[in-house]
Amino acid sequence: MANATPAPSATSGMRPGIGLIYGSLLRADFTVLRRSGRTLLLNIAVPILILIIFDLHKGNKPNPLTAGGAGFTIGLALTYGLMASSLMGYSLAVARDRDAGVFQRMRVTPAPTWAIMTSRLVVQIIVDLIMTVIVVIIGGIIYQTAYNPGQYLLLLGVSILGGAMFLAIAQAVVGLIRSVNVVNAVGRILYIVFLLLGLLGASAILGTTVKNISDWSPVGALINLYGGILNLSNWDGTCTNGLIATIGYILIGAFVGIRWFRWETR
Amino acid sequence: MTDLTGLGSATILDVDQLVVTYGPRTAVEGVTFQVLRGEIFGLLGPNGAGKTSTLSAIEGLLKPHGGRVRVDQVDIERDPIEAKSRLGVQLQSSSFQAELTIEEIARLYAGLYGLKITRQGIADRIRDVGLGEELGKRFKSLSGGQQQRLSLLIAVIHEPVLLLLDEPTSGLDPQSRRQLWDRIENLRTGGGSILLTTHSMEEAQAVCDRVAVIDHGKLLIVDTPAGLIAKHRNDPRVVKAARGEVTLEDVFIGLTGSEIRG
Repeated sequence: MANATPAPSATSGMRPGIGLIYGSLLRADFTVLRRSGRTLLLNIAVPILILIIFDLHKGNKPNPLTAGGAGFTIGLALTYGLMASSLMGYSLAVARDRDAGVFQRMRVTPAPTWAIMTSRLVVQIIVDLIMTVIVVIIGGIIYQTAYNPGQYLLLLGVSILGGAMFLAIAQAVVGLIRSVNVVNAVGRILYIVFLLLGLLGASAILGTTVKNISDWSPVGALINLYGGILNLSNWDGTCTNGLIATIGYILIGAFVGIRWFRWETR
Repeated sequence: MTDLTGLGSATILDVDQLVVTYGPRTAVEGVTFQVLRGEIFGLLGPNGAGKTSTLSAIEGLLKPHGGRVRVDQVDIERDPIEAKSRLGVQLQSSSFQAELTIEEIARLYAGLYGLKITRQGIADRIRDVGLGEELGKRFKSLSGGQQQRLSLLIAVIHEPVLLLLDEPTSGLDPQSRRQLWDRIENLRTGGGSILLTTHSMEEAQAVCDRVAVIDHGKLLIVDTPAGLIAKHRNDPRVVKAARGEVTLEDVFIGLTGSEIRG
């Protein structure tokens, strides 16, 4: 058995092509995400659940949470799907792999570090887009809404922006925090804070001050952005502010997440 | 320069005046040594002596504060991709993605080293190291010896000119350890060079062609195990440590002291 181990030879050392490296990383990261039930559950089940719950509560009496109509509800569902998979899925997976030494093992190969990290982000964004399509189809069936092709394209574009924003925030979390348990706890706390801020702020039941804060929060900004493109005639300054805030969070999160990220915990 | 394989004299690894610092603390201070083609070279030292820091700089995991590391004539800082493609590495503590099977792990790392290997080719290589039955299993479900075999397979999947092993026998039972040394010997026979760290002086004496003793970040000496013993057998510190025939361990303790390190 021992004699069968491939022996090294002086012919090794050929510079590997980036295409092959990146393809291998993408395939592995897709497999990991596909097998990670938690991430898929957060990514797809949470938004579908929101669509169903909001549908069950509509119609009986005036409800501030459903007052925004189908566009608001679908936007809300998409936002929470993107947020859950990033803050509780991506950040925890990166923290765990870093703690286990997975990144260090990869870093001793010729794979560039940017390829190791962006591969995970690209895979997560693709899953976000798949989630967007599923949620919009189910939302369309439940709320009997139809959008033009331009709006579908805008939806995908906003989902890429929203996914990038929450991934940037998640990257900032794993950049600033080394401990797996603390990353897990902070991800959950942020999720709850953003959830409440988005829901209560957007409904304006806590007054205009909270609504203004909510409009500039990650969840509020993205809900406004989704709401704007799903009902283009209602696009206003709040939607524009949402776009500005989303881009701002992407830039800040990416800067913090790259600047302070460490590949090992020790 | 010694030719150990008949393949011609060549320095596969050149570590020149290496300095590694962590903030104000200097972990490696001006370390210089070479590893030759076909050589098994042992880097020995007590805990915290600077072995892993030296290896990390060679692997490109950390940027040295000073000095130079060249792998097969390629400077690791100037061209890390080229240098890393010539290196095989088995880290002291590393892992693979828990969700991947060992077949998928082998496929991933083959790709990272730029190898296009068919699924059958991957399976054959895994069978060659006695893990054919475990193809569809996850890394975490393997025993310590099986994990170590997979790690070594991954480290040599691209047939590197230099294999770096950081305490490769740590935690292995005698059977697994013996198998590992057989494989390492086999790698050397094929023309590869091996740089390893170990705490087992017995193993270092048995398998290493040359050893370097490092302590407090400084290189104390480089020689063959037999040369080291011959040179230091009458050193009072070594005589004091010896309990009979002087061994490499006695020389090591004589040179680095007997106090326990953290």
